[in-house]
Amino acid sequence: MSRSLKPTFLVFGLLGSFLLIDLVLPIASLFLDANWGGWLEALKQVEAQQALVISLEASAISVMIMLLLGVPLGYLLARADLPLKRLWISLVFLPMVVPDLAAGILLLKTFGPYGIIGQPLDARNIALTNNLAGIVLAQLFVAAPFVVVSSLAGFAAVDPKLEMAAATLGDSRWHIFRRIALPLAWPGIAAGLTLAWIRAMGEFGSTLIVAYNPHSLPVYMWVKFEAEGLSGALPAAFCLVALATCAVVASMLFSRLTGFADVVTPFGKAATVEN
Amino acid sequence: MVSRNIKSVLGTPLARAIKMMRLTILLLLVIAPPAPGAGASQDRPISVLYAGSLATVMEKGVGPAFAKTGYTYQGEAQGSLGAAQLIRGHLRTPDVFISADPLVNTNLLMGPQNGNAVKWFAVVASSQLVIAYNPHSKFAKKFEEAAANKVPWYEVLATPGLRFGRGDPTIDPKGYRTLFMFNLAGRYYHRDDIPKLLGPPLNPDQVFPEVVLLARVESGQFDAGIFYKHEIIARQLPYISLPSEINLSDPRFSSLYAQETYTTSSGPQVSGAPILFTVTIPESAPHREAALAFVQFLLKSGELLRKFGLEEVEHRVGGDAAQIPPGLRGLTSGVFKP
Repeated sequence: MSRSLKPTFLVFGLLGSFLLIDLVLPIASLFLDANWGGWLEALKQVEAQQALVISLEASAISVMIMLLLGVPLGYLLARADLPLKRLWISLVFLPMVVPDLAAGILLLKTFGPYGIIGQPLDARNIALTNNLAGIVLAQLFVAAPFVVVSSLAGFAAVDPKLEMAAATLGDSRWHIFRRIALPLAWPGIAAGLTLAWIRAMGEFGSTLIVAYNPHSLPVYMWVKFEAEGLSGALPAAFCLVALATCAVVASMLFSRLTGFADVVTPFGKAATVEN
Repeated sequence: MVSRNIKSVLGTPLARAIKMMRLTILLLLVIAPPAPGAGASQDRPISVLYAGSLATVMEKGVGPAFAKTGYTYQGEAQGSLGAAQLIRGHLRTPDVFISADPLVNTNLLMGPQNGNAVKWFAVVASSQLVIAYNPHSKFAKKFEEAAANKVPWYEVLATPGLRFGRGDPTIDPKGYRTLFMFNLAGRYYHRDDIPKLLGPPLNPDQVFPEVVLLARVESGQFDAGIFYKHEIIARQLPYISLPSEINLSDPRFSSLYAQETYTTSSGPQVSGAPILFTVTIPESAPHREAALAFVQFLLKSGELLRKFGLEEVEHRVGGDAAQIPPGLRGLTSGVFKP
């Protein structure tokens, strides 16, 4: 394909660059007036280290849960002959677009000490809010849809003929999933898991409500912002943006392995884009 | 070929929708009001950054009442300390700043070390600490008895299984004021165990940001919390009043309150003091004339503030009294001494 710029592309590029002012410039500004030494020093503080560890622990647990529960759900939604399939897919999408604050309040009402699920557990001295479990619940709510949707897209892109051939040869569903679908869809799922991980790491709005303590890194960043202003918050902001950059790069590498990217919406498969 | 495609598309619902949208946009352009600053007399904007606990007082009371005098009022609620940090870091340039503690002005905004972001402030009103509870809590009966002075409130709070929360001293003056209140109560009732109800100052089981704690008590996930009276009047929750000697409301007990101190993680040590709300016009305020009109209005709103659970106090002036706008001199009296 020729790389000459067509007028249409020139105009689109111009339009897009206006959007990039909003998308890229704020992040670039973090590095323009960077105070590397001071930030690293601030991140060495005990509270900062604790917050980082809490966030890493919680997000690791979240990713494991998403892997164990989200990927099978993605396969189910991609392959099983479910009634009301589009409804189920839409329900999985919904948390991605629910505002953080609303999510926090709803999670609290469900899992809080007097919530539908929280109360019976509380009677057995199990708390689901204001601890690591609360952070994980908040992270799962916002991040798990990424995994379900990327798994769904990954599995849907596997040529059904391959699976049918295996079925006619007598392979069980589990074998087909394990030997054909999962290996072929894996790069896309891995990309989804990576994005879900960083979304979980950065989750703030609902975490604040469900688990203010122990402080995760984003909550710690907010507390420092409230107590000490901009200079207090920037070290944690820098840390989160750096981790996010790594996650995006990793996710891009994973999706390269598949050779194509699929766009699946609740209204069906919209497009398959050759890379 | 291309024209045929367009023709075949024209009849579709999509094409009709596009047509409708074009018409709507045209219509909107015709009837849209002129751009801001086009000179309409009632289009005088005023932005007020205020202590979060005042949200209802400002958005349902003072804001709308002031807007009727011909200004476009825009309010923003933030924690006092956080709001001061926003002004100090040049992240907000409100016309008026209302703080929940005179110390927020003196420690974070005034003086050369703070870039002289604020040079004076006036005391507006006072509030008090109360214990609010959820009326559907399983301990509601006990709270009612405490509110009627039949059982001591601290014995109710000590009930096993009862959950109560308080503000975070790191980010919220109400957080360290609650610590002061429990210490004062320990001495007032001669009970050492009262301060121990709180555990460590930052006890993770009790400490929450203001709005989060309110959400927890309102949704019934917490049984009770320590709040300002005006917050609770706004939320219409039942509450237990406390004696003036410990509730930090009464300037007459200033020296008693001042026996308590707390050192915040960001540095300065704070001492117990009456809960006073202050108003100021930061040096960076873009609409100074509107700001002055607002402050005048606020200092004359005693009646309205009382309706929302605040108490009127003398409008003493802190900081550099020479810097206060002449238009406010008649509404203020005396010097504020911390």
